[in-house]
Amino acid sequence: MKNPTMDVLLGIRGKDFVLIGTSKAFLHGITVVKSTDDKTRALNDHTLLAFSGEAGDTIQFAEFVQANTQLYTMRHSSDLPVSSVASFVRTELASSLRSRHPYTVNLLIGGYDTKKEQPELYWLDYLASSTEIPYAAHGYAQYYCLSILDAHYRKNMGVEEVAGLMRDCHEELKRRMPIDFKGLLVKIVDKDGIRELEGF
Amino acid sequence: MASSYLLPYSQPNVHPTAASQPRQHHWSPYTENGGCILGIAGKDYVIIAGDTRSSEGYSINTRTARKVYDVGSGIILGVVGMSADGEELVRKVARKIDDYKRNHDKHITVAAAAVMLSRILYQKRFFPYYCQPLLGGLDEEGIGAIYSYDYVGSFEREQSRAYGAAASLITPFLDNQINLKNQFVPGSNGEEPRPKVDLSKEQVEKIIKDAFTSAVERHIEVGDGLQVVSIVKGSREEGEEEDEDERDKTAGGGVISEVMSDLKKD
Amino acid sequence: MSNPFTLNGGACLAMAGKDCVAIACDLRLGQQALTLSNNFPKVFNYGDVFLGLTGLATDVQTMHSLFRYKVNLYRLREEREIEPETMANLVSSTLYERRFGPYFVSPVVAGINQRTGKPFICGFDSIGCIDFAKDFIVSGTASDQLFGVAEGLWEPDLEPEDLFETVSQTLLNSLDRDALAGWGAHVYIITKDKVTKRLLRSRQD
Repeated sequence: MKNPTMDVLLGIRGKDFVLIGTSKAFLHGITVVKSTDDKTRALNDHTLLAFSGEAGDTIQFAEFVQANTQLYTMRHSSDLPVSSVASFVRTELASSLRSRHPYTVNLLIGGYDTKKEQPELYWLDYLASSTEIPYAAHGYAQYYCLSILDAHYRKNMGVEEVAGLMRDCHEELKRRMPIDFKGLLVKIVDKDGIRELEGF
Repeated sequence: MASSYLLPYSQPNVHPTAASQPRQHHWSPYTENGGCILGIAGKDYVIIAGDTRSSEGYSINTRTARKVYDVGSGIILGVVGMSADGEELVRKVARKIDDYKRNHDKHITVAAAAVMLSRILYQKRFFPYYCQPLLGGLDEEGIGAIYSYDYVGSFEREQSRAYGAAASLITPFLDNQINLKNQFVPGSNGEEPRPKVDLSKEQVEKIIKDAFTSAVERHIEVGDGLQVVSIVKGSREEGEEEDEDERDKTAGGGVISEVMSDLKKD
Repeated sequence: MSNPFTLNGGACLAMAGKDCVAIACDLRLGQQALTLSNNFPKVFNYGDVFLGLTGLATDVQTMHSLFRYKVNLYRLREEREIEPETMANLVSSTLYERRFGPYFVSPVVAGINQRTGKPFICGFDSIGCIDFAKDFIVSGTASDQLFGVAEGLWEPDLEPEDLFETVSQTLLNSLDRDALAGWGAHVYIITKDKVTKRLLRSRQD
């Protein structure tokens, strides 16, 4: 298993939406290269991909699956549902795993399934293990945030409640992480699409 | 030869000779002799059982090695791990229990013997005895007691404990059959645990036999014979006690007996 | 790098009874000591045949989709469901194809032969060596514990309901002594014309 990263990826599934928060610091070892980084890509109107891992691999892989989901949308004039996107991404990552140059990328996929009318959050690691869970994190953030979420997460939480949870996690990370990760960029995915959430 | 890549190809004898190579010698004072022991404490009895196989790697050294010992004063001690260290530990404990009796003119209690064993183990904190002991006896109320230890003397009084090669196989079986774990009152929808009962010595002996037959089937280091050593409260006959020397009576008033039986030898 | 077989944790167990078989698994997915999900089943069915997969989670998922693909093609070509014996050989040859870069899984196959009505269970190592058994098969991080308890509780010719109790007790008590497996369980009881799936509630630690 690879060492965990200081990059923060956080996802929480609410009643009819998913919140995804990513750290704004672009890290290169212990150096903060940029403080307005966006570690997410919109795969289609209702699916957001968040990524961390090895510098070149992350964006290369994210934009590869982004291009392919968008190609699907163009060809079929309809979006691939979240579960199918997650399955596609997992398959791509799994075949890369046993190639000569595997992508070292950890992912969260948050989305809203417009047919089933429900939010979904997928956790995938660089080995391409995938699972649908109510809340997820990657890197060192896992060790700080999952216990908070275990304690306070409830089914069918509203936007304000989940945003509150996200803020609690943010506070804890600011208190415990050894370097400044320059705050969280939080996005919401619901039936209306993907938007940035202010106030973090 | 860290800088050998700097040498020209024509350089003769770039390979290290046997004499120039540092050779590492090491000393390994420990071996593992396999085997398994199991201790169970009841209301008025205590049992420690062990198989009688002693092995080293894939070779069997003997099929008749006892692992459970009477260390005097009505206390029994089972050991697994490295048998040489185990036997040394048993000798030391037996000697100390005898010393106690001679110095204080009374039998040591199991509780005191338990602390004593802990100290003996901790005295060798930085070159430990490579063995896991189980101490058994009847306490001052005549209730069965099993004390389990790690290599360096951390200990705990328990109802049941399996140690040795097949401990991971036997432990969950014991949880289920002795402590009735994961069993519930029918119709309670898994809300009401099945109440604990005091098992009779005969019931426990059956479970021990089952546990070992299972372990023998799936673990190559366990087998050959089964040694069951038990202490039962007050099974000494009235008249018999009068004739005996005061020092031969034990603290908990129990009598030690041993039963040997066969296990598979393959 | 740690051992791929124990990275994610998990356990699986199959037992044969009188005209019935049972297969069960835990639901944990973890990364070393950290639990990520308590909804990660490791037993899948392909028609009438059941396959349990423990080991590296990514390979569990890859193998599952690979066998779904292969069994679907088999069904189309043969116009019938696959039998457990055939499935066993399919699993074996699929694993051996990766002899020098294996999938890190320990599969278990269970089912009733629809033609003969005979119960069938077997297990595999990660490169496809088949272990035929007439009693039980265990796999996963709790395999030592499962061996011990199953050997103590299993007896020949158990009726479906008794087999369910035996499988469940074996699995539950083994999971409680393994930190890498547990967090709920699925149990399937399979007879010739009926499959019963039960979700077991278990300790959440």
